[in-house]
Amino acid sequence: MTAVREPVAGYYLNLDLLGRPHRVYVEEAGQGIPLLCLHTAGSDTRQYRGVMNDPDITRDFRVISFDMPWHGKSSPPAGWQTEEYRLTSADYARMVLEMCDALALEMPVAMGCSIGGRIALVLAMRHAARFRAIIGLQSGASIDPYYELTWFHHPQVHGGEACAAYVSGLMAPTSPDADRWETLWHYMQGGPGVFKGDLYFYRGADGDIRDRLGAIDTRVCPLYLLTGEYDYSVSPEDTRAAADRIKGVKFSVMPKLGHFPMSENPALFLQYLRPVLDEIRSARSAAF
Amino acid sequence: MTLPLETLKERAAGDALLARFALDFDCALLIGDGDTDWLVRITRGEVVQVTKGPFIMPKTDLRLRAASDTWSKFLAPVPPPGYHDLLALRRFRRIQIEGDIQLMSAYLFYLKRLFALLRA
Repeated sequence: MTAVREPVAGYYLNLDLLGRPHRVYVEEAGQGIPLLCLHTAGSDTRQYRGVMNDPDITRDFRVISFDMPWHGKSSPPAGWQTEEYRLTSADYARMVLEMCDALALEMPVAMGCSIGGRIALVLAMRHAARFRAIIGLQSGASIDPYYELTWFHHPQVHGGEACAAYVSGLMAPTSPDADRWETLWHYMQGGPGVFKGDLYFYRGADGDIRDRLGAIDTRVCPLYLLTGEYDYSVSPEDTRAAADRIKGVKFSVMPKLGHFPMSENPALFLQYLRPVLDEIRSARSAAF
Repeated sequence: MTLPLETLKERAAGDALLARFALDFDCALLIGDGDTDWLVRITRGEVVQVTKGPFIMPKTDLRLRAASDTWSKFLAPVPPPGYHDLLALRRFRRIQIEGDIQLMSAYLFYLKRLFALLRA
């Protein structure tokens, strides 16, 4: 049997995030233009394994992803046991910028999915000058609640299985079984209350940003929105409604993908992502 | 009426994925297919009885009802977006879900698999 080592390196970064010491797990692959990848609520960097292992991308891009605090191999901050984890839009955006600073990323491309897709819109709105381009996957400006969050953190319901079961249908039925179930395993491994705390992000002060999307200036930072057709949490119609309010945005629907494009079917997702990254790289070359 | 519930017991028997999420599941599940009701009794994870209605005030833990046309699209080998999952139906208000939502949440993988087994 042959053992193959992936060209992906992981390490821990000790730094202050949101004014508190954290130990954050980071993964990287490739070199070139920094491409910072933000995982979905309740999951971790493993969602981007397909991007990190694609030589067509890592030839020109330094792909970086980090487990948000409380997620994956990043622990919560000291004192977590007496707190309720609740992600806010402001904290999430600040955390992304602080990670960019800590990693000394110069004009990175940011790509986020789901809550990462929402923060992509917020970054484009408030911090466009910090980024070469922004890619939102499954980005929506508001959410139509259709389930109760209670069961994601309840002593009489297995949180991991409930979180995974609630998101399982968000993937395309045609995505490969192995990749779909790996995506779900990541959800099953989430810490108690973390997925629920992430989703607070959608229900807080910045839960509905539709009226503010007009402030996005895509001349400062190009914005791409890609949405899988089987996602019913952030449906193509939801992203289209957001895109209609943003001048110059490039929006496309990804057939045969759902809410976790990079993780549920990496090979297919890369077919949609590569042309976007090619365009971003070419624009950069032209500018220089 | 669209769902082939008369064959559910056979479809469920021996299914490895259903068994994976079956631990200690007891449920009286009412499934509405248009005007037709069915009662599925699950005991310790096993589908032990499937009965076609009508019923008079049955005692149930969970009730899932949708139009036959909705179930018909749900049953397609590759269902269209929005019809491919129980919660997709819920998202677009195509299914009525009532009863013990805690029980449903605890056994949602089981329930999703049970309905998926009705395809093909």
